[in-house]
Amino acid sequence: MSNASREAQLSAAFVKLADTLTADFDVVDLLHTLVEECATILDTEAGGIMLLDAAGDLHLVASTSEEASLVEIMQLTAGAGPCVDAFASGTTVTVGDIEASGSRWPAFRDEALKHGFKSVHSTPLRLRGRVLGAMNLFSIRVGELNPADIVVAQALADVASIGILHERSTREKEIVSEQLRYALDTRILVEQAKGVLFESTPMTMHESFGSLRTYARDHGMTLRIVASGIIDRSIGVDDLVRAGVPK
Amino acid sequence: MLVPFLTALPITGAFISVSDASGRQSSLCSSDPVAARLDELQFELGEGPQREATRTGAAVLIADVAESSHARWPIFGMALRELDVAALFAIPLVLGAVTVGAVGLYRSIPGNLTDQELSTATAAASAIASVAVRHALAAAGEYGAPESSAAPAMRREIHQATGMIVVQLETTATIAYSRLFAHAFGSARSVHDVAHDVVSRRLNFETLPE
Repeated sequence: MSNASREAQLSAAFVKLADTLTADFDVVDLLHTLVEECATILDTEAGGIMLLDAAGDLHLVASTSEEASLVEIMQLTAGAGPCVDAFASGTTVTVGDIEASGSRWPAFRDEALKHGFKSVHSTPLRLRGRVLGAMNLFSIRVGELNPADIVVAQALADVASIGILHERSTREKEIVSEQLRYALDTRILVEQAKGVLFESTPMTMHESFGSLRTYARDHGMTLRIVASGIIDRSIGVDDLVRAGVPK
Repeated sequence: MLVPFLTALPITGAFISVSDASGRQSSLCSSDPVAARLDELQFELGEGPQREATRTGAAVLIADVAESSHARWPIFGMALRELDVAALFAIPLVLGAVTVGAVGLYRSIPGNLTDQELSTATAAASAIASVAVRHALAAAGEYGAPESSAAPAMRREIHQATGMIVVQLETTATIAYSRLFAHAFGSARSVHDVAHDVVSRRLNFETLPE
């Protein structure tokens, strides 16, 4: 990719992210936008953002696809995989050739290769010395991220950290934990709402997620509020279906 | 698990009860004998502020036990007189749209929690909700295959299956969730296995015999 188009893409991404950081933004939605932009800009095929919960486990909160296989691979990176290393070191870990990673992370390696992924890059989400989670990017081609790409990935990951903190930045320590928890809990609500849609419409889990997000955007609502509305039936499933399924 | 409550709030003691693998409320831990008794009484009587918080998903705050009518839990209210409990609070443990249990907080002098204290208690309760479920599952480990170590309470299929059961049984998320757990318990399988069957449409709660 040429530097000029990279720059244009990056500034467009930052504008889009700044747009998302409005008064009523939703952390999970922001992280989705972020990982989609990042995967595109760094020319990778799939990506996901993992956040740390109160018990110290990493959970997938946003990903470029809701397909179960990708979710599983992402979760594996957090069990014994590059994500753990990025998390522990606080720096980007780039694995240019998963096949050559040997016996370091056997379960992750097998699963990633089975789905055609050849390389993976894991960037920590940092906030003033604290690591909140990590962003994974997968490519179907062999090759490490170059130093310029690493800077880009880190810059976008830092936006995610800022987004997590954004709401009220005063009571820092408490707020970061609170925002992390809020993001993780929103993700649970979204999964429950996906289940409702999956059962009552012909949509797949992935399409169900897309329709929640589209509806939220079209109505200026947060993903969390739409998900709750679907579960407690204050928003009709039919309204959501009518709103259309994206891509 | 009780430490965040005991250190951050002006309370005497605390306890936690959650839906166990059988889908019933059961005690998880308590900080002292009075807290344990409060938990046990509500389990035995099937009534009380913790039970209500779990059912409704809303906090119950009794700032002054002596002055309160206890109309919604008359027998528990009488039993309370025997205990050194002047104020009692129930904070629900919430996972998305599901209430999995409640934290009970008591103190031996009357007085309400401030808004700030209540929000601290709510945040602490949310932070431990998934951990509490994991403990409850582990405690019931002999009834099913061991849960995956990858944070079973966050396993997506469990939440997706909960949403599907909401539709199948035309019920609330909390009831759907406890039915999922109860079915796993009754069939001696792990919750994740049963959730997987629901998501892959091999199991439908609508056509399940009661």
